[in-house]
Amino acid sequence: MNLFLCIDDTDDLDSIGTGELLENMRDAAAARGLGQGGFIVRYQLLIDETIPYTSHNSSMCCTFETHDRDALTAFCQSYLEANCAEGSDPGLCILTNNSGLDYTVLTAFGKRAQTEVVSKRDAYAAAAAFGSDVSLSEHGGTGIGVIGALAGAGLRAGRQEGRIKGKLHPLPGRPTMTAGEFAALYALSQLVDTNGQPVDPQRVLTFTEPTKAVFRDGMVTGVVCCENGVWKPLPKRKKEKQ
Amino acid sequence: MWDTVDGMPVWQGGKTDWAAAAQAAENCGAFRADCEEECVADDDVSCYNCRFRRWTRDSFVCMKERCL
Ligand code: SF4
Repeated sequence: MNLFLCIDDTDDLDSIGTGELLENMRDAAAARGLGQGGFIVRYQLLIDETIPYTSHNSSMCCTFETHDRDALTAFCQSYLEANCAEGSDPGLCILTNNSGLDYTVLTAFGKRAQTEVVSKRDAYAAAAAFGSDVSLSEHGGTGIGVIGALAGAGLRAGRQEGRIKGKLHPLPGRPTMTAGEFAALYALSQLVDTNGQPVDPQRVLTFTEPTKAVFRDGMVTGVVCCENGVWKPLPKRKKEKQ
Repeated sequence: MWDTVDGMPVWQGGKTDWAAAAQAAENCGAFRADCEEECVADDDVSCYNCRFRRWTRDSFVCMKERCL
């Protein structure tokens, strides 16, 4: 069975970030023989003075293929309790990933968490409305991380856009390649320009600065831009913040 | 480049003044890199990539005085 694993509020100013913690948890679960995880998507949640967060307010979500949901859940719960930063408020959401499910209620909750202040009670109500294919758990502090955890899982299940953790680095000695080669080399499912239009696979790209892939339309997506007549993968600073 | 709002330094440059944010961090001495997925500037050392910046709707607040 395939699941979404999503966590939030696991860090403090001195700890590793939530994305790295999820990466470590995913890999530790795989090393335990519990299955295999996929790439991690970061979802920006509401930035508001009344919301407690460290330097950002985002949650992290990956998929995980497992044969034993209960064992995976127990593993993730104990992993978070052992590894989250002291004083953090971690929350975990585990959600079935199945195209037959209607995620509308959870995606709507995720969108709300991006635009307004929502409470733990709202999160539990949305989870209850969805039913037994989703579970929420708190692992320290106020446990308020369940809000972001549910929001991130709902956004991911609803194929909403988010940034994929990690950078794509240029290959040494290969500053140019066609768009088609770039997509194949970095396992991108689609390549678009900054207007969202598909890019001709024969277009030559200059790739000398790291870039990031995004999760868009449910696909790993590369974005390219044209600067002074030169086409290239979008450097970070050309992205809008968040 | 800073305003003071409720006693806290608020960056005047918004979210895209890349050069000034890099310069401010170079001059700061307290810069601490945020985790990779939260870094938004290409310049490694930039207020935009610092753990002590706390995003607001239009810009960020520097929290170093409160955190250090
Ligand atoms: S945000 Fe970081 S680098 Fe910028 S002034 Fe504050 S502590 Fe220094």
